[in-house]
Amino acid sequence: MRAIFKKELKSYFLSPIGYVVIGIFLLCFSVFFFLTVFSQGTVDLGGLYYYTALYGLIIIVPILTMRMFAEERKTGTEQLLLTSSVSIFKIVMAKLLAALFVILVTLVISLMFFAIISFLGKPNIVTTLVAMLGFVLISLATLSVGMFASSITENQIIAGIITIAFLIISLFAGNIHQVLANFALIDFYMPFAQGVISIESTISLLLFAFVFISLTIIVLQRRKLVK
Amino acid sequence: MIKLENVTKKYGKFEALKGISFEVKEGEVVGLLGPNGAGKSTTMNIITGFIQQTSGTVVVDGYDVLKKPSKAKKLIGYMPEGVPLYSDLTVKEFVKYMAELKGMPKKQIKESVNKILEETGLTDVQNKLTRNLSRGYKQRVSLAGTLVSNPKVIILDEPTVGLDPKQVTEIRELIKNLGKEHTVILSSHILSEVSQICNRVVIINKGEIVAIDTPENLEKQVTNKNIIYVTVEDPENKVPHMKDKIEGIKSIKLEKTNEDGTKQYLVEVQDNIDIRKTLFANFAKENLTIFEMKKADTSLEEAFMKLIEKGEEK
Repeated sequence: MRAIFKKELKSYFLSPIGYVVIGIFLLCFSVFFFLTVFSQGTVDLGGLYYYTALYGLIIIVPILTMRMFAEERKTGTEQLLLTSSVSIFKIVMAKLLAALFVILVTLVISLMFFAIISFLGKPNIVTTLVAMLGFVLISLATLSVGMFASSITENQIIAGIITIAFLIISLFAGNIHQVLANFALIDFYMPFAQGVISIESTISLLLFAFVFISLTIIVLQRRKLVK
Repeated sequence: MIKLENVTKKYGKFEALKGISFEVKEGEVVGLLGPNGAGKSTTMNIITGFIQQTSGTVVVDGYDVLKKPSKAKKLIGYMPEGVPLYSDLTVKEFVKYMAELKGMPKKQIKESVNKILEETGLTDVQNKLTRNLSRGYKQRVSLAGTLVSNPKVIILDEPTVGLDPKQVTEIRELIKNLGKEHTVILSSHILSEVSQICNRVVIINKGEIVAIDTPENLEKQVTNKNIIYVTVEDPENKVPHMKDKIEGIKSIKLEKTNEDGTKQYLVEVQDNIDIRKTLFANFAKENLTIFEMKKADTSLEEAFMKLIEKGEEK
């Protein structure tokens, strides 16, 4: 499992993907840093992470996940992976964690905004860390969706589009209709952005990730039968 | 070492494998032979656990591939058709990754990678990205990745396709050497290759096993002892009438007329009679000059075709 994790991570940073992702992330952070912190004159970084999660993940998640299984299937390397002695569960987790790691890297870099604010005022490190924790959780949930999309097709573009469509619906569900508001993924992030660790939100996001990880495993296992 | 029992694979109504059973003993080199679409790759994919059979069992060194997948897979090195490689890794990284995927202990990996790179002649290109390699080199990288974890069982799907003649000979030599310490299954549609490398041949056609035997026996099995080719000078077309004059001839057919005016006939004789002496004497009596006379000699190629046709008639 470590080998796959390392290899995936290497692929992200040997290709432009890893840098593009970090770049887009930092662009989002900077824009929202300006729009929230500067415009509103606040030292609270919650809004910064909230808006980046809302708008940034829609672009970043598909970039990170569309290749995951679609490319392996297309180039035939899935044969190497699935005939290795690593179980499907471990393969799936290794790939997911590698993608999550790229996001973790950007989160660490985003601490520079905290540093900047520290010069100007007294931001609260605890609420910032809680916002970051929530960010990790919502990333995990959305990455699982992207990974699932990548496992059902051998076309990366289709995988990407499915992911984007799903994320738009699940992040903006509340804006479309009142009833859908209950399913809006971003709402689970709201408490974290306000500096509160919500048990309900944590469980919901983890459950969401769990469902899509399981679906990915099922897809890969079923393919053994129909291939 | 490897035992397949009644393995079937269905895709909807289409039966890709219709109940295949065979056994491979330790240290054997076995060739799977068959035309395209016969089920060779499907069989290999099932043994390696890449796809799952509809029914039947596959046991590798005592481990059922379905029940103990990771133990069974660890024993197998698989080189799939079309040599898939990770294009963003270098040769060395790829081979190392393959060793890691097979769960090789970390300490052994470095040594083993260097050794296999040398054996497959890849040391010079070890730092090149695999996507920049030529087909022949890619094939070697794939083979190196298969062998690096020193698996007990090696499964090679069409290992020599797309190589130039020199590389083909090299790879064949390599496989022959592998057979000394490993159990090898390889697939091919090239008969000469299989007869050169393999101890035994499994001929598959349309998802069924047509024959399992040594290459020599297969040739014997279908050799026609009762067909003789005779080339004679025969301007008056006398030869076809010889059938009534010589006992034991079933039929005489004109095969072809040569440019120099001689004709080649195919003489079918009743079983187990060597008729050549009589033929010679009788033709001489009729003033027919024999230019050439030979018993039909079936090559493995013909044997293969015959076995497949036989299978289809059933």
